[in-house]
Amino acid sequence: MATLSVEILSPEAALWSGAATALIARSSEGNFTILPQHTEMVGDLVSSIVRVETVEGEVAFAVHTGYFQVGPGDGEGVTLATVLAGVAERTTEIDVARAQAAKEAAEAQLAAATKGDQSDDTAQLVALAALERAELRLRAATK
Amino acid sequence: MAGGQERVLRRRIKSVLSTRKITKAMELIAAAQIPRSLARIAANRPYRLGMQRLVLEAALGDPAGAAKLLAMPEHVDTALVLFLTGDRGLSGPYNNSSLRAGERLVAKLKGESTEARLFCVGKKAAAYFRYRGLSVEEHFVGFVDRPTFANAQEIARRLVGPYLEGEAQQILLVSTRYLSAGSQAVHVQQLLPLVVPELPVDDGPKVLKGYTEFEPEVKKLLYFLAPHALESEIFSALLEGAASFHTSQQRAMAAATDNADELSQTLTRVMNRARQDSITTEIMEIVGGAEALRLGK
Repeated sequence: MATLSVEILSPEAALWSGAATALIARSSEGNFTILPQHTEMVGDLVSSIVRVETVEGEVAFAVHTGYFQVGPGDGEGVTLATVLAGVAERTTEIDVARAQAAKEAAEAQLAAATKGDQSDDTAQLVALAALERAELRLRAATK
Repeated sequence: MAGGQERVLRRRIKSVLSTRKITKAMELIAAAQIPRSLARIAANRPYRLGMQRLVLEAALGDPAGAAKLLAMPEHVDTALVLFLTGDRGLSGPYNNSSLRAGERLVAKLKGESTEARLFCVGKKAAAYFRYRGLSVEEHFVGFVDRPTFANAQEIARRLVGPYLEGEAQQILLVSTRYLSAGSQAVHVQQLLPLVVPELPVDDGPKVLKGYTEFEPEVKKLLYFLAPHALESEIFSALLEGAASFHTSQQRAMAAATDNADELSQTLTRVMNRARQDSITTEIMEIVGGAEALRLGK
């Protein structure tokens, strides 16, 4: 029987691995779903929520950009999908209060960076990235 | 009086023993850090291998683009060299062996008329090169004991900038690799242009055959992938550097503790001898005095 095995990896730890029925995520070209026996594939992931559907239910991760690779796994008929993300966390482990605070701090920074005639481009980009991360965390945690 | 010598010895033994207390404590602390840093290397391993596999796959998917991105230029005018050392000393050969290797590398680059721009991680590297009159472009301190991925990203960002702008054609890394508990080796590694990793043989079946789908197209992917591959390599080097540092420090401090034990033992013997000597002399004096008195009667 064809099965799908999924690994969610970050540099600090392997977050999750196991058998799944589908992997749903978003690349720079749009949403996609990986099912067992998907063809070999390599791609990027934009900041989004990655869902792993298993027999027991759904496991979701907030992924702040990364890459994925689909290839043959160990054993007959096993498809291995690997998600590599610099920063990723399980949605159930997100600290909502902290994300909310981070969001407000990022908004304040963004306002400070855009204020006045001499807008600081780097600071603006940093604040925008922080805001995006905080918003993704909130979206992932409250869904 | 011989009692003076005894007092001097007693003071030296006390000082050796208090140094021993410090080295013993440092040994225990370093020993406690080792398993933790090894666990972090193990946790990082799947990501690192996954990233290498991804680079390999992308390189196979677009050999022409990969050739452009991965090929060495005919002459490297400027190379960025990243050194990895500790913030602290008292760690045996850890800092010095990598600095010596680094200095040899800089001399070699100079021989090939390549200008080396130095980037240092850890206090020791920056201090070493500044002392020798080499300018250090940037240095990063304060996290080598417990590096985080954000640290690696920060370093990578500083290195990639000049590379992408064409100011430098090569990025090299000098770091200590943790091979096993008994063996750590200084290793010079080229970070960019990317080196297509050779995968361990047991990962053979997982390597794809080069007819993979790419999203976005492989040229774009490879271009964006390069900085991330750099981050991943730097992070694993930081982790292995931390583990090597703790191992090296533990071994150095264990040796120092043993030395202190030996020294205090030797000194104690000398001191006891000196005490015995002074007692013997005193007895001789008393006996001699009594004898003189008896004879004089």
